[in-house]
Amino acid sequence: MKKTIMALLAGLVMTAGAHAAYPDKPVTIIVPFPPGGSTDMVARIMTQKMSEKLGQPVIVENKPGATGAIGAAQVKRSAPDGYTILCASIGVWAVNPFLQKNLAYDPAKDFDLLTVAVKSPNVLVIHPSVPAKDVKELVEYLKLKPNKVTFPSSGAGSSDHLTAALFWMSTGTTGIHVPYKGGGPAIADLVAGHAEASFQNLNNVIGHIKAGKLRALAVTAEKRAALLPDVPTMVELGYKDVVVTSWQAFGAPKGLPTDVKKAIHEAMMAALKDPETSKKLTDPGFEVTASTPEEFAKFLQAELAKWKTVVEVGKVTLD
Amino acid sequence: MEILANLSLGFSTALSLANLFYCFVGVVLGTLIGVLPGLGPVATIAMLLPVTFHFQPVTALIMLAGIFYGAQYGGSTTAILVNLPGEASSVITALDGHAMAKRGEAGKALATAAIGSFIAGTIATFLIALFAPPLAEMALKFGPAEYFSLLVLGLAVSIVLAHGSLLHALGMIFLGLLLGIIGTDVNSGAERFTFGQPWLADGVNFVVLAMGMYGLGEIINNLEKKGTRDLMLKSVSGIRLSWTEFKHILPSILRGTAVGSFLGILPGGGAVLSSFAAYAVEKKLSKNPIPFGEGAIEGVAGPESANNAGSQTSFIPMLTLGIPSNPTMAIMIGAMMIHSIQPGPSVLTEQPALFWGLIASMWIGNFFLIVLNLPMISIWVKLITAPYHLMFPVIIVFCSIGVISINNTEWDVFMMAFFGFAGYLFSKLECEPAPMLLGFILGPMMEEYLRRALLMSSGDFSVFFTRPLSATLLAVAVVALVVVLLPSISKKREETFKE
Amino acid sequence: MSSLIRHPKDFFAGLMYAAIGIGAILVARNYNFGTSVRMGPGYFPTILGGLLVLVGVISMIRAFTREGERIKSISWKEIVLVLGSVALFGVLVRGAGLVPSLILLVLISAWASDKFKLKTALLLAILTSAFSTLVFVKGLGLPFSIIGPWFGV
Repeated sequence: MKKTIMALLAGLVMTAGAHAAYPDKPVTIIVPFPPGGSTDMVARIMTQKMSEKLGQPVIVENKPGATGAIGAAQVKRSAPDGYTILCASIGVWAVNPFLQKNLAYDPAKDFDLLTVAVKSPNVLVIHPSVPAKDVKELVEYLKLKPNKVTFPSSGAGSSDHLTAALFWMSTGTTGIHVPYKGGGPAIADLVAGHAEASFQNLNNVIGHIKAGKLRALAVTAEKRAALLPDVPTMVELGYKDVVVTSWQAFGAPKGLPTDVKKAIHEAMMAALKDPETSKKLTDPGFEVTASTPEEFAKFLQAELAKWKTVVEVGKVTLD
Repeated sequence: MEILANLSLGFSTALSLANLFYCFVGVVLGTLIGVLPGLGPVATIAMLLPVTFHFQPVTALIMLAGIFYGAQYGGSTTAILVNLPGEASSVITALDGHAMAKRGEAGKALATAAIGSFIAGTIATFLIALFAPPLAEMALKFGPAEYFSLLVLGLAVSIVLAHGSLLHALGMIFLGLLLGIIGTDVNSGAERFTFGQPWLADGVNFVVLAMGMYGLGEIINNLEKKGTRDLMLKSVSGIRLSWTEFKHILPSILRGTAVGSFLGILPGGGAVLSSFAAYAVEKKLSKNPIPFGEGAIEGVAGPESANNAGSQTSFIPMLTLGIPSNPTMAIMIGAMMIHSIQPGPSVLTEQPALFWGLIASMWIGNFFLIVLNLPMISIWVKLITAPYHLMFPVIIVFCSIGVISINNTEWDVFMMAFFGFAGYLFSKLECEPAPMLLGFILGPMMEEYLRRALLMSSGDFSVFFTRPLSATLLAVAVVALVVVLLPSISKKREETFKE
Repeated sequence: MSSLIRHPKDFFAGLMYAAIGIGAILVARNYNFGTSVRMGPGYFPTILGGLLVLVGVISMIRAFTREGERIKSISWKEIVLVLGSVALFGVLVRGAGLVPSLILLVLISAWASDKFKLKTALLLAILTSAFSTLVFVKGLGLPFSIIGPWFGV
């Protein structure tokens, strides 16, 4: 009797696995950071429309640790069935491989890339007490005071740390990198004038720029930001290498069935292109990218190459 | 009389039906997650953020804020009843609050916490209304050097926390400082004491440590005493606070409010110090015949008021400068941005209804909390008279679920078990956990600020003495150390005489 | 030896401090020490380890000069049952799900009490897991599976 029931149950499970149309249970998005950060926000804003499209709840699970490496490694180890997806930032995708020893995942090989959901421009801001009206004057100021001007960042090995390293490299200048626990305290010290210059996400500093507490010198995106039409890009100023945007992108464990991959990507596009959802994203300063998997793959290769150079040439290490 | 116009704008916003309702929902939810050990407001607020998308921005913020200060409120209940501090400030409440509960005065301790929090919340709300912008500017004067000096002061004062041997207090503080170092070093990004284990890369979580040392360690201790604990808690005497008692604790509440309001403004971790500092002040000033640590009512009134005042004033840098002073405030800023509001100095001028509405709602929320919680006290008191052999497995369940929910990793559960063993051994050796937890909280911050200050000054140690604010704080630390150490040295002499 | 140590609690606490302090110093040798002006990641732990050793040594010396109580015996049964049940919960909760692992957690930990009765404990386990499912999973939306994948559900 017992055996028959077990066999029946097993059969049931197997048929369910083989025939049910994806998805037949809730889909989990792993965010490898604590609740409340940019990546968490992007994932949570998108869940509602995604679950409408998929017809199953989409749940965000925070799995923070080791600059996102713990959560990313967990997704890598999960079954490639479309029920576990990773939503992670530039650091997890493109920077960790060059800074963390024994990284438990390879961003280019271990994941089926889905989409770059959003990008957000970074901006070079200085405290108004720094005697520089534009990037040229700042470069002169940095050369006048080598290794004296402080550049706060949201953490050692963060994208704003590396952007500063990239900037020093391209302009032939130096400065003191001062790492913080997250962007908030770094910006606080910048606004208060305890630190002098930094590359920050535009959405995190736009209020301070508008209020005159910080001075924006240049945008690091390819084109000018809609919120700051008068501020030039680094490219316009002749620093062609200094192009950095922060971005959030989705991936799944390698080996996703084609139809499942298509269904997830369609759900993500539905969310990102929905006017209401995209407004929730653009209002805090994200730019909706909604790329195809192929575009993401190309973009990831370019980013990996760029940050590899910055880490190697800029001699950025964590010790 | 601008302030009256502002407050009336605020109250007319906050008293709308929807805002009142969601303020209520917020504080109830906050109290619930505060009471359950291990669950914090940050995760709850992040989870509820999408729910608030279709709200008015002010309604969303009112509810999220309610969760935050409601949780602070609920946390002290668990600390007092079962000696389970779910966050840093509750460690202090647990010291004397739980000692009172053991004496049968749980009701009195809870009432003290509730009334103290309400008075502190009311005063802090008016402080925000009157002085928010200038206070925020003052908070910005605190750079890395000032924070370091403030933490030195905190550590100097913390020696007060020990009521046993001074040497063991020092040992436990150093042990806590070392424990706090585990994880990724902020200044260099290097991993320390992680032994290559990724689950240690972000260090030991405070809740894991506290639940292990206090929760599990204490349970094993109680179990080995066999039936004695049940008898101890059966004799519940004081539930209500008499008028004389209220008059007795009022000065403590006011002092706590002052300390907490000030420290809460500082975005770089001042709020953490508020309950420690208030406790030290009370211990120094108290004339209570009951020693601190054994159930002195001022030891509950002061820190609880400070904690609540601090959690209110921690909104100041967020509202007036757009600077988050803790993770909850960071999510609030995110919530504002999703609603197309740019956090920063312009909120006050461009969104007056939101600014003043939120402030008014905090007072209303505090009112809800006291109305809700005072009647609850008699229920709570009944709950802890439940037979211990039925209660402790439930406590273990809540600790385990709470701890695993922090980072969604079972390693935190294993670590909690480890710290449970450590906590039990410490109690065998009469080493108190409170100084260790203080060191654990302050240590990483001290190192971070010290190294940052030196990095920014290119290695010039004189920043700590040439900056007036920093120098003052260090001077106070020295004075405090002398004041604190002298009597305890003489007290120790007495002890040796006794032996 | 034990007759010389007149304050065993001080002695063993001191031994613990000193041992942890030495351990910290040894591990911290792998980290860049830096200078007192530009401190490396190894600076703080080394100093702290040293201070801890100092406190430990003083405490151990003091143990020979002052009188103190004996250390009470260690209750291994309670330790193993309480901490073991918690660790088991950690092992099971992903695979077996919340309810089965909670039932075991309550049953095993309740066994640590001398008033343990299987019937009451079983009732308590069922009530607790029902409450937790309602509040934590349904109410607060924590990501636990109620019955885990090991049962094929």
